[in-house]
Amino acid sequence: MTPTKKPSGALTTLRELPQNVWNSIFRNPLPSTDLERSSTSFTNFFLHIHPVKVNKNTLRPAYTLGLGLMATFLFVILVVTGVLLMFYYVPSTTQAYDRMLDLRGTVAFGIFLRNMHRWSAHGMVAIVFLHMCRVFFTGAYKKPREFNWVLGVFLLLVTLFLSFTGYLLPWDQLAFWAITVGTSIAGYAPIVGQQIKFVLLGDTTVGQEALLRFYVLHVAVLPAVLVLLMAIHFWRIRKDGGLSRPEKVAAPAPDAGVVKLKKIYGLQGFVRGPFTKLGNVPDDSVYSWPNLLMAEIFVFVLTISVILVVSLLFNAPLEQPVNVMHPPNPAKAPWYFLGLQEMVSYSAFWGGIGIPGMMAALLLLVPYIDRSTHGVGKWFAKERLLANTIFLTLVILNVIFIVIGTFFRGPNWSLVWPF
Amino acid sequence: MMVAPHSHDNPVATTDSQMPRRRLLAWLSGFGLFASALLAVVSDWLFFKPRVTYGPNARFAIGKPDDFPPGTRIARDVERVCIVREGNKLAAISTTCTHLGCIVAIADTGFACPCHGSHYDQDGNVTGGPAPKPLPWFQVSLAPNGDIVIDKNAPVDPGTYLTV
Repeated sequence: MTPTKKPSGALTTLRELPQNVWNSIFRNPLPSTDLERSSTSFTNFFLHIHPVKVNKNTLRPAYTLGLGLMATFLFVILVVTGVLLMFYYVPSTTQAYDRMLDLRGTVAFGIFLRNMHRWSAHGMVAIVFLHMCRVFFTGAYKKPREFNWVLGVFLLLVTLFLSFTGYLLPWDQLAFWAITVGTSIAGYAPIVGQQIKFVLLGDTTVGQEALLRFYVLHVAVLPAVLVLLMAIHFWRIRKDGGLSRPEKVAAPAPDAGVVKLKKIYGLQGFVRGPFTKLGNVPDDSVYSWPNLLMAEIFVFVLTISVILVVSLLFNAPLEQPVNVMHPPNPAKAPWYFLGLQEMVSYSAFWGGIGIPGMMAALLLLVPYIDRSTHGVGKWFAKERLLANTIFLTLVILNVIFIVIGTFFRGPNWSLVWPF
Repeated sequence: MMVAPHSHDNPVATTDSQMPRRRLLAWLSGFGLFASALLAVVSDWLFFKPRVTYGPNARFAIGKPDDFPPGTRIARDVERVCIVREGNKLAAISTTCTHLGCIVAIADTGFACPCHGSHYDQDGNVTGGPAPKPLPWFQVSLAPNGDIVIDKNAPVDPGTYLTV
C-alpha cells in the first residue's frame, strides 16, 4: 500500500460513481442484442408489464386504433390533474363554487388544469365506449377472452360513475341539476330505488351530504376500484394469450417435411422430439423493446397533445352558483346520460331502469351468448354479420338518443331545431 | 376404541365415519364465512344510511292562515310546497316533480315542470308528460300559536283539507 494509490482509488470510486449508481438501478445496458431486448422487458419494473415479444398484429394501428391505451393514458392524466386540483378544492356547499372561481382567478395554471381534467374525463367516457366497440367489431371477446370483456363492461360502468360523481363537484347550476336529474333516475329502480338514492345522496335532496359523498367516491373509492379492475384487465390480456388476432390460415410449415434436429433439452426431448419451439414455428412476433414501447409512447404523445390543445382552446363550463329554486330550463344530465334522459322522458321506469338494465345485462352476457369462434381478429368479419349488425344498431340507437337529448331538446323538453 | 385419532396426519387412513364430521366442519366454516360477509354488507348499509340528515326540516311553520287569503295558490320554492286555500280550507301540495325531482311551476291549468314537460292539474294529478305519479299532498295542521305547520314526512290523501 503506497500513499499515492489511495487518492487514485478514491478518485476512481468518484469517477465511477455515476456509472455504478446507474448500473445498480438498471440491470441491463440499452439493448443492442435480442438477449438484452428480452431481459430488459422482464428486469425493469415498469416494462415487465410487457411480454418479451408481441405478435405483429398487436402493433397494427388499424387493428386496435390504440383505444385501450388512450383510455389508460387519459386516466393517468386524470389522476395527475385530479390530485393537483385536490390541493385547492373544498367539498363544501359554501366554498366549492368559490374555489372554482379561484382556479380561474388566482391559482397558477388553475383553469388550465381544470380544463385538462374536464376534457380528459369526457374523452375517457367516449374512448372507453369506442374501445368496447372495437373489441366487439373485431370479435375479440370470444373464448378465451370472455371474462376480460366482462371486466371491460364493469370498467365502462365505473368510468361513467366516476365521471358522474365528478360532475357535481363544481357546485354550479349545471352540476346541481344534472345530479338531481341523474339520481332521480336511480330512484326509479324497483323496491330499492328510493333507498339507494337516499344512501347515495345522504339526504332526500342534493345538498352538503351529497357533495361530500360524491367527493369521497370520486377521489378515493372509485379510482381505487378502477385501478384494481384495470390491473386485472391488463393482466388477463397476457394470460389470455395477448391481443386477439386472426387465426392462422393454413400457414405452410416452415421447411415442410424437413426434420431438422435442434437442440434437445433433457430426456423428454429424446422421446418427443425437439422440445424447444425455436425455429419450429413461424415467428410472427417482434420484441416488445422497442416496438411495443414505441407504439405506446406514440399513443401517449398523441393523447396528451390533443388534451393540451383542447384545454388551451376551450374552457370547461362553469355556470351560475347553485340556486335550488330555479332549475335551468331544460335541466340536462351529462351528455353521456342524455340518451337515458331522452328515454326517461317517454317512460320513467323503462327509460331509466328497464332498458338500461337490460342493455347492461346483455353486454355482460355477450361472450356467453355468442359462442361461435369464427371471425376473431378481423374488423367486421363476414362470419359475424348478424352479431355486428345487432351491436351496431344498438350503438347507433344510443347515439341518436344522445344527439336528440343534447341538441334537439329545448325548454320544457320540447323538440327544437338547433340550427 | 379410538378410531385413527391422528387421521389428519394421514389422510389415507381416514375412515368413512370421520368424513361427515370433517365435511360438517367445512360446511359450518363456509356458512360462517358467508354469514360474516352478509353481516358486513348489512352493517355497511347501516353505516352509509344516515340517521340524521342536515338538510332543511321536513316539518316547518309557514305563517298564519291570514297570510293566505281565500283563493290563494302560492308556490314556496324554498320549502317546495304549494299552499292552496279555497274558502276556509287549507292544503299543501308538493312542488317537487315526481318525474326527476325538478321544481314544478304554477301554470294556468295547474302545475308544469320545466325539465321534461310534465303537466299536472290543480290537484296535482298528472295530465301529461312523463311524470309517473301525482304530486303528493302533505299534512297541514295548526300550531298552538296559530301558525300553519306542514309536515312533508306525512303525506295525506289528495283532497284532504284543513278547515281554519
